[in-house]
Amino acid sequence: MIPPMDAAEAPVVLAAHGISKSFGANTVLTDMELTVRKGETVCLLGPSGSGKSTFLRCLNWLEEPDAGSVLLKGQRIGVRASGNIVMSDGELAAIRTRIGMVFQHFALWPHLTVLQNVMEAPIHVQRRDKAEVRREAEALLERVGIADKAGQYPARLSGGQKQRVGIARALAMKPDLLLFDEPTSALDPELVGEVLAVMKDLAREGMTMVVVTHEMAFARDVASRVVFLDRGRIVESGSPEEFFTRPKTDRAKQFLLRYSAQ
Amino acid sequence: MTWYDVYAIFQGAVFTVAISLASIVIGLPLGLGFALIRWSRIPVLDRIVVVYVSVIRASPAVTLALLIFFALPVVGISMGAVTAAIVTLTLSTATFNTEIWRGALMSFPSDQLESARAFGMPRALRFRRIVFPQILHSALPALVNEMTLQVKSSPAIAVLGLVDITRAASRVGARTYDPLPPFVVALVLYSLIVAVFVMSQRFIERRRAAELEAAR
Repeated sequence: MIPPMDAAEAPVVLAAHGISKSFGANTVLTDMELTVRKGETVCLLGPSGSGKSTFLRCLNWLEEPDAGSVLLKGQRIGVRASGNIVMSDGELAAIRTRIGMVFQHFALWPHLTVLQNVMEAPIHVQRRDKAEVRREAEALLERVGIADKAGQYPARLSGGQKQRVGIARALAMKPDLLLFDEPTSALDPELVGEVLAVMKDLAREGMTMVVVTHEMAFARDVASRVVFLDRGRIVESGSPEEFFTRPKTDRAKQFLLRYSAQ
Repeated sequence: MTWYDVYAIFQGAVFTVAISLASIVIGLPLGLGFALIRWSRIPVLDRIVVVYVSVIRASPAVTLALLIFFALPVVGISMGAVTAAIVTLTLSTATFNTEIWRGALMSFPSDQLESARAFGMPRALRFRRIVFPQILHSALPALVNEMTLQVKSSPAIAVLGLVDITRAASRVGARTYDPLPPFVVALVLYSLIVAVFVMSQRFIERRRAAELEAAR
């Protein structure tokens, strides 16, 4: 296990500045800032419709922000270094191989087996050696506890198993950063734990992660930092101890009250 | 009706199968190409495909064959009867295939495309690895159905003086003054051709089901 680095000294993996986004007349994000250092687990919290998922999707340009910049290890995402030209599909694809993503509804490829889902991008996008990728993919499935399902199609798996395949698939790219978009929101309550356990292990092993979640216990126990959003703005940001025990704003207090009442 | 007459109708069947297959083999990828143009909303080309599909789809095969054979030489494009027949059937089947492929593309789950994008797949790779293998299966029944319709609309090319099953049968009937036997033979031949298409579809579907079953 890698000992946790001092967060303040670790190199910056991802920096987002002044991200704004509207859908028509509806402003979803206003001037969002986020810096993620190596080994950090940043949890984005906030009520439904606060813009958490949209912000996460702006980080790898699945959603094109109207303003602002995203830098992955200093390299601009979405806009070419030479001037203000939006990247082509191929250029964006190349940079996205360095950012893994786990989806709320898994978004596995149903025509491929579990093992093929995990091997697909390393072989066909990163063009790595097939035998090596296969060994790694099998090891990853072992790690998320579904090695016995390798030859099955996703349709045969439970939600929790699908999401663990989703995580293995993202890890197979050896990304600099992992994005989680509400990874447990579509799961039956009794399946949430198995997915969170895998994510907890990843955090402990020093994976750099940005997690949009409604799992307050996970954020409190695992996050190195929480960012609280409301109506497309960052309302509060800080250590989980601080946020969960001494929230500074009324909005955060209200939000936490609703969750502790459950 | 003699055995020679049966042989003549059989020769017509060979011709029917040949031009049908030629138009299917060209028309399938052509239709897919048109569908992709519409799906990706490529400016200008998109509008051209819309006009093409609505014009050709509205035109009966006989009319289209005559138009291509007699009208195109006026603008300097002339071709032999067989080529004109294949062009007619290809253009016609391609329009229907366009709509079938487009339907399959439009109902393709967007979350799968999104994960493919997030995993760094460029457009062509997304299509080749994720979309195509799946729409091929979802579009297959409709495509095979269109193939059988295609075989059945092929007699239209007889207006170009070509001898297919129906034309061969009616010639035999006209000569022997007994049209029933040759048309029974024609019907049997059409049934056999269509059966081959349907059987190959069943075979592909069964193989797919067996694959899925084996993975359980």
